[in-house]
Amino acid sequence: MITSINIFSQSSFGFNGYWGLSPNYNTPLYSFESNPSNYSHLKDWGFSFVYGVEFSGKLNSNIYSISLSKTLGSHNLSARFTPGYQKEFLFNTGESIIVEDSTSQSLTADFTYKELFGLGYSYKFSDDLNVGFTFRFFNQNFNQEIVTPVFDDTLYLVRESINEDVNFWKGDLGVNYMLNNNLSLTAASVNLLNFGEKASNPDFKDFEIKREIGALIGIGWMPAEPIGVNLIYETSSSFQASLNAYASNFGFGLTIFHDKLQLPYIAGMVPSVSYKGDIFELFISGVKYFSDRKVKHGVSSFLNKGISNVINNPYSFDKVLLTVSFNINTVAEKAVKFIDVEIVKDIYPTFTGNYINYPYAYGTVVNLTGEYITVKPSSKIEGVNEGKIQSPISAIAPYDTARIPFYIIIPESYKSEKTSLSYADFYVETKGDEPDDQFQKALLVNSVNSWDGRVSNLRYFIRKDIDFSMNHAKEILSKHKSELDTLPNVLEIFYEARILFNDFVSRLVYISDPRATGEYVQFPNQTFELKGGDCDDLSVGYSSLLESIGIQTALVDYKTNGTVRHVNVLFNTKLSPDQASLITNNDTKYFIRESLEGKDEVWLPVETTSLTDFETAWSDGADKFNKEAISNLGIATGKVEIIDVY
Amino acid sequence: MFIKIVKGDKMKKLILVLLLAGVVPAQTFVVESVSGDVKYQEGGSESWVSLKAGDTVGDDVVISTGSNSSVLLKGENEQFKLGELAAVSVSNIKTMDIDELLLALAMEDIMNAPKKIEKNSDNTAVYGTETGKDNKPIIKSNDFGIKRLNGAVELAGNGFEESAVVAARETFRKYPGTKNIPSYRIYFANILYNKGLYEEALDEYVDIQKLKLTDEKRAEVNKKTESIKMKLLSE
Repeated sequence: MITSINIFSQSSFGFNGYWGLSPNYNTPLYSFESNPSNYSHLKDWGFSFVYGVEFSGKLNSNIYSISLSKTLGSHNLSARFTPGYQKEFLFNTGESIIVEDSTSQSLTADFTYKELFGLGYSYKFSDDLNVGFTFRFFNQNFNQEIVTPVFDDTLYLVRESINEDVNFWKGDLGVNYMLNNNLSLTAASVNLLNFGEKASNPDFKDFEIKREIGALIGIGWMPAEPIGVNLIYETSSSFQASLNAYASNFGFGLTIFHDKLQLPYIAGMVPSVSYKGDIFELFISGVKYFSDRKVKHGVSSFLNKGISNVINNPYSFDKVLLTVSFNINTVAEKAVKFIDVEIVKDIYPTFTGNYINYPYAYGTVVNLTGEYITVKPSSKIEGVNEGKIQSPISAIAPYDTARIPFYIIIPESYKSEKTSLSYADFYVETKGDEPDDQFQKALLVNSVNSWDGRVSNLRYFIRKDIDFSMNHAKEILSKHKSELDTLPNVLEIFYEARILFNDFVSRLVYISDPRATGEYVQFPNQTFELKGGDCDDLSVGYSSLLESIGIQTALVDYKTNGTVRHVNVLFNTKLSPDQASLITNNDTKYFIRESLEGKDEVWLPVETTSLTDFETAWSDGADKFNKEAISNLGIATGKVEIIDVY
Repeated sequence: MFIKIVKGDKMKKLILVLLLAGVVPAQTFVVESVSGDVKYQEGGSESWVSLKAGDTVGDDVVISTGSNSSVLLKGENEQFKLGELAAVSVSNIKTMDIDELLLALAMEDIMNAPKKIEKNSDNTAVYGTETGKDNKPIIKSNDFGIKRLNGAVELAGNGFEESAVVAARETFRKYPGTKNIPSYRIYFANILYNKGLYEEALDEYVDIQKLKLTDEKRAEVNKKTESIKMKLLSE
């Protein structure tokens, strides 16, 4: 009668030997045996194929495994089909029957153990920490001949088989931790989770694979760049030790293993050589057992020793295996990485030119490669931009860190009147369309009417509503066509400015605050609608009317004591100094500015909050300008600033 | 190379001056006496009004005298007499130091539209008749630009030399024809020279050399120019 055997022991044996968490190769990591945590270096897809020849008296070739693996961000999924992971035992049961011709026939038993497939998952919490699990599906087929008595007129003994398939899953958890670039640790369970069928026939129960719970721990140490030393130890007292070396694209590994159920103490070795190409890895490895595997074992031997596991047990034969793996990377390699992004400006949607000419954010980006690379930065503000806005290309030296400016375009269609806290997505690309890295940062997007208090930025409010201003100005001037037609050409600008101002103030009924202290600026059409505003609203409105018909204007920023500001308007009459007497007998009411062409031209200051008539507003403007800008040297000391709108 | 050194030093001076600059208080004067035709224009007014003794004038007033006319103004600490055919802004009757003068001169460039391009005046108009001596180039003319320059000369004569230069420079801009009268140009350039503002004076002399000059005046200008160059090179 067949008695029970123990089937357990070394779980971590793999056909490529043990390579630890080799940073150079992915192939050994397809082995769920030595890599229960499903650790992977893959960036995208991976495929592995193991073909081998077993020297069992005659040559048996086999496809041992086909594996597929996919990395998605920090996740990795693996699946393995293992048609060659099986071991079949055929022996006599020790019983025989005598048939009619007096010959004896032995009864046989046929037990087959198979690992059919496995699944793995892992998650990289960081470059240092990986956690994962693997599940493997096994099948055990028990087939035994028996003699059954059949009672009829006479007693017959019928020879028949009993057969049973027993399937089960086993699952293990593992964790990998890199202490530094030279030292890594692995810890995993052995047979932690077991579920599935159990043999129903009492004769087979004792032949099921034993699944005693244990653990393993592995350590990988790279004392010098081309050499690695690895050790993996199981609580069953089995272990593997290996030495790996790397040179250029080639690698070499030698693993020795001790299995407590095999003799001698070092039961065998797994030498391997490897070659790594751009997208593939090639391994040729061998399994050499130090004990004689050509000896035929009797049932008693099988009963005493059992087998270690399906692919590595006292009855396993020497092998030579070829493994080909492909690392198919459809995801671009990350050549640059964000360290941080600094927002240097809140977004004022009306200041469009501000963000085209000056960065609103700077990204600190590191070049991860040993080569000079050009980086294509882009960004997008949620709720403002529909697509990414490209910033100028920057170059980064090998392994260097650069501060990259990000610019943005605020679309003309953006009209939100509410200030909101949004966020910006920043991207850096080095090749292809996929970004190497991206970074998200919160930022404040003000309303379209928001103003930061800088008079120089009022020009954006002047430009933004220029179509409205142009239509309005043309409409007003058309009513004065006959008057304008009788004027000398040189006086046209002066009289147009006067007509537009007088019309402008006739529509306004209030001044909310003569000082430029608000954070809200009206567009010209809003000033007309609301029939009033403060000094910045009125200056924006009047300047926009003049600019819309080609009259050059400037804003005068009276900073006074730095907190309370005032702003009014200067406009260019295009008169030469000699022609100034055509418009005034008072030479303190105009100022000479030299044009870009080097021509001296007469400019007039206009106090837009003087809601009376043009002459008064001009006189008030000149008085203020003379006192604060000229006599008090405000222009020279910076307390008064002239800001040209265009 | 020489020019670059000059410009660099000018910028350093200007930065220093910007830090030191303060606010000039408003000026008020009482008219002590009036002789002949003296009028004033206040603020943004377009009309001229006769000035009488006892009137008070603020710094938004411009005073203009006719032929054989004069006015005597008295302030808290200053007294100022404006002679015939001259015009002056009351705001210019004030004591300025060299730093304030430098600031005022710099304002001319700052006020210009974004970028300045070198140019030469092509106005060759001739105004009035020069009657003053070499050191006081008064021209008798009713042209307001000439009156303004005469007023500036009067400012200098009354001890307000820095204000005089500022007023003259403003007049040269507002009445471009006056820029072509060598005697005034040399007069105010000499003030700059005498105050040790060599870089500013050199700019003026170089510009004056482009005008039609008598041999005597050309020799004077050349001599000053060479003198300044020597001084600047030796610094």
